[in-house]
Amino acid sequence: MIELQGITKVYRTGSQSLEALRGVSIGIVRGEFVSIMGPSGSGKSTLMNIIGCLDTPTAGEYRLDGDKVAGLTFDELAAVRNRKIGFVFQNFNLLPYATAWENVELPMLFDGKSGKARRQRVTELLNAVGLYDWREHRPTELSGGQQQRIALARALANDPPILLADEPTGNLDSKSGEEIMAILTELWRGGRTIVMVTHNDHIAARSERTIRLFDGQVEA
Amino acid sequence: MNLTLPRFFWSEYRKRRRRASLITFALFWGTLSILLLMAFGRGMTTQARVAFSGLGETLIMVSSGQTSVTFEGLPKGRTIRIYPEDVDFLRERIPEILRIAPESYNGWPVSANGKEINRTVHGTTPDFASMRTQIPRLGGRFLNAEDEREGRKLAFIGWKVAADLFGTEDPVGKSIVINRVPFTVVGVLQKKIQDSMYQGPDADQVYLPFLAFRQIDNQRYLDQLHIQPREAARSPLIESRVKTLLGRKYRFDPADRYAMSFWNTIEDYKQGEAIFKGIEIFLGIMGALTLLIGAVGVTNLMYAAAKERTKEIGIKLAIGARRRTIVGQFLLETLFVFAKGTFWGFVLAFDIVHLIRLAPLNYDSFGIEAYLLRPEFSLSTFLIYMTVLLVLCFLSGIFPALRASRANPIESLRYE
Repeated sequence: MIELQGITKVYRTGSQSLEALRGVSIGIVRGEFVSIMGPSGSGKSTLMNIIGCLDTPTAGEYRLDGDKVAGLTFDELAAVRNRKIGFVFQNFNLLPYATAWENVELPMLFDGKSGKARRQRVTELLNAVGLYDWREHRPTELSGGQQQRIALARALANDPPILLADEPTGNLDSKSGEEIMAILTELWRGGRTIVMVTHNDHIAARSERTIRLFDGQVEA
Repeated sequence: MNLTLPRFFWSEYRKRRRRASLITFALFWGTLSILLLMAFGRGMTTQARVAFSGLGETLIMVSSGQTSVTFEGLPKGRTIRIYPEDVDFLRERIPEILRIAPESYNGWPVSANGKEINRTVHGTTPDFASMRTQIPRLGGRFLNAEDEREGRKLAFIGWKVAADLFGTEDPVGKSIVINRVPFTVVGVLQKKIQDSMYQGPDADQVYLPFLAFRQIDNQRYLDQLHIQPREAARSPLIESRVKTLLGRKYRFDPADRYAMSFWNTIEDYKQGEAIFKGIEIFLGIMGALTLLIGAVGVTNLMYAAAKERTKEIGIKLAIGARRRTIVGQFLLETLFVFAKGTFWGFVLAFDIVHLIRLAPLNYDSFGIEAYLLRPEFSLSTFLIYMTVLLVLCFLSGIFPALRASRANPIESLRYE
């Protein structure tokens, strides 16, 4: 499902350049639950950004579902992010002015789904994460765990085949973190492909496979 | 048309709209300024036209003169006069003439009800009424062809003459004595604005059928000849033909500017209109510049909003918003800000114009206030305003919108 061949990412600032990724090649099949681990600066976030089509590699080839990602326009990449990838961030990244309902609904709005379809799906998702009764509350009125569950519901809005979670439990207490991991595990068992960045070995142990990065390269 | 996203953007805008209150006021003020200035400018142009037409529209007035050059052995300094027979003479030879009327006048005592006043009394024909905007008050009429044919002793009087002799009484049907000859009043001039005149404003004049006038006056020649062209554009041609024909008849050089006097009100009106049009355009530009200040405020507001909402934009881009969605949202928000500010400016401008127009005009003493008391909206005013507004709205929003849409999602997500 996800194929990266020789991916290199170089950041240039003036005359200086920084190689965040150096010739990374990995493959993730459909339905796999993969953790990516590594110390700070190892390139985890850069790799996630490339997999998530938020960034483009300087060199190498990235195929998502068999299609080459390079050469896609910004809006084509946005469409891929909207329909094929769901993001869950460490700091939730919910819209502060919008209610829980509106946050979950947003990817479907960008996808042009009908009002009826959106209502059905948002109701289903909020019930699935146990927050239907909180649908009119804004993020500032929700706990960290509740916010992350809303973020998860949003990530699943367009039923994407891939879920990318960047430190999903990083800002949560252990109980809330466990709730999130339970949901992710359930989603994986349901056939979704999950790629998760984490610092926590216990969290990583919940996945099928761990890819370790060091200094921009995959550790053998 | 799918209104889902616009509705969502509207709900987002509503949560932030208090921040735009100062800008909204600037737009309100700018709109009020541009609309009032354009309305007053348009009103002044219209009033100038109305005031000018108080004398008459598309008129060429011909009167006597004196030759200033020798011609065919004749010396200069000869007085050239126009005579009643010249009316038909010119009418038959110049097909471009729509109407032509003679006019003679003299100053005489006019009395009624035991009161006597001295006024200028004119003798003319029925065509004079439409050429010189002599509209009778309800219940009366101007002189007609039958009055002229039969030399009836009838009089059409100005509203001030009526007020001076009869007070608030209706003078129609009553008798007045002009130069010791009794006449019956057949109509009174309706009040009008008039800023061009000869022998004083029409409100102070008395008009008799030409034949009846000749019966009480010894003067053989005419004081004025009034000519109205079929098309205003033909007035220079008519002027030239009159000079040629009368020059041949009375033996003066048609090129001699002083042999006959021509007052071409069409040319005068064109100059006056150009001035007022210039004032109207100037006022419109001043108003537009005021609105521009409001628009600059909106641009600043939208740039600040784009900066402040960097993370929000990053989130939206990350979950699949296209660039055009971000651009669309910012343009829509710009439109909302503009709509709120300008709507109330429009409403207030409309109310102010409506109220000012209720003020009565002083027909007896036509001053500057008459130009200022009739501001008006026209379709062209509204269309110009909407065009200026939409252009400013678009320009205010598009640059911040494009900037916001070009944000790097990763950097935006990191923004605090």
